[in-house]
Amino acid sequence: MHTDMEKISYTEAKKELTEIVLAIETGELDVDALTEKVKRASELILFCKEKLTRTDQELQKILDDIA
Amino acid sequence: MTEESFTLSELNRRVKNAIRDHLPDTYWMRAETSDVRRNQNGHCYLEFIEKDAATQHIVARARGVIWSNIFQMLSAYFETETGQSFTSGLSVLVRVSVEFHELYGYSLTVVDIDPSFTLGEIARNRQQVLKQLEEEGVLTLNRELELSELTCRIAVISSPTAAGYGDFCDQLLQNPYGFAFYTKLFPAIMQGERSESSMIAALEKVFQYSHLFDAVAIIRGGGAASDLNCFDSYAMAVNVAQFPLPVVSGIGHERDVTVLDHVAHTRAKTPTAVAEFFITHMEKTASELADLEERLLSQSRSVLQEEASQVRLLTKEVVHLSTLLLQKERALVQKISDSMTYVLGQRIQDQVHFVETTRQYIRMVSPANVLKRGYTLTTKQGKIVTSLQKLSPGDTLETHFRDGVATSVVSGVSSTPLSETN
Repeated sequence: MHTDMEKISYTEAKKELTEIVLAIETGELDVDALTEKVKRASELILFCKEKLTRTDQELQKILDDIA
Repeated sequence: MTEESFTLSELNRRVKNAIRDHLPDTYWMRAETSDVRRNQNGHCYLEFIEKDAATQHIVARARGVIWSNIFQMLSAYFETETGQSFTSGLSVLVRVSVEFHELYGYSLTVVDIDPSFTLGEIARNRQQVLKQLEEEGVLTLNRELELSELTCRIAVISSPTAAGYGDFCDQLLQNPYGFAFYTKLFPAIMQGERSESSMIAALEKVFQYSHLFDAVAIIRGGGAASDLNCFDSYAMAVNVAQFPLPVVSGIGHERDVTVLDHVAHTRAKTPTAVAEFFITHMEKTASELADLEERLLSQSRSVLQEEASQVRLLTKEVVHLSTLLLQKERALVQKISDSMTYVLGQRIQDQVHFVETTRQYIRMVSPANVLKRGYTLTTKQGKIVTSLQKLSPGDTLETHFRDGVATSVVSGVSSTPLSETN
């Protein structure tokens, strides 16, 4: 089941991504499932990449507001 | 009152003389420094104290002074040898002359210092603190924490004005990979007597917000020599060791490994190196992600290629097998058709032959043919005569020949048949 990206952490996303890649590598997915999983994996990769490089202004503000 | 009495100054002068007479030399003395300060003339004033090893209560105290010219020489020598500035809280071995001044009282004037004693004391103290931490089972706690894959929210404990802090932030925020880092300064005094409590207070503050951070950096700008006392303190170390987030130290000290460095998750030499450490960690995280992406692409591609080639193989097989099947069926139909043609031909030939044979036979036995061969047919009044019995002399008979009919009258009848063998 797809998790809402808003609530997922980097580590969780990476874990799910790793599981998908392993499932593909061990060949336990049929082509229909593969398409679905690759789509999900692409979302996860995008999510992780953004976490790595896109500055979250909201977070910076929260930190700045610590008195 | 006939007994002699002194004025205070007279008495003080006597004390002064007594000290000068009885303690005329300079003496090597072990003590701890306290309240070290320099005035505008460059003279250094301090307190020497001695604490009871068990209770830590002060059991002796004396004022001390190091004159400016001596201090410049000694402090430089001390810093070079120990990597540590001459400051409060140090165990020192100093050569002193004992002074007594009528107005200012008792004091010790420092003329020499033995830095190796201090080094030994620092090392001994470090060993002691480390041993205690180990016995309490906390020494490696912070080192055992795992740095989270995405370590980008850094709580920084530093002096806000330190160059090292600026270097750290610049290095981190301008990393060449464009990684997003977040820093929050928790200001602390990083040297002097108040540094220990100040840093612990900063740590406690970070602790309150620990859910917002991935790691703590304790940094301090470099400088040749500095006061490292607070980084060897037990109270500081025990706080860092038990801190729930990984602590990275970068206190700008090349030579010494302080207690803080020991208990921290990671020790870097300088603030810049701490930033590098975080960047490298992110690089590792990013490259793991890139690796997964690459594997995902190549694997799913190869799965699809494999599927496609299987489909191609199946297609080929279907074509091949159906062609084969058609050929087989066609051959079978051909065979049936051939054998039918043959059988029918045979039948027809048989029939043709039969008809022909029959026809020939019939032709052979037809009256015309029989007549041709010399036989004749006899009739009486249009009826075929095959026996003598109905004949009587005088009957008119018609004899049919091949080429016509002759009429005759029976003159006699004799019943002798024509011989069969004839």
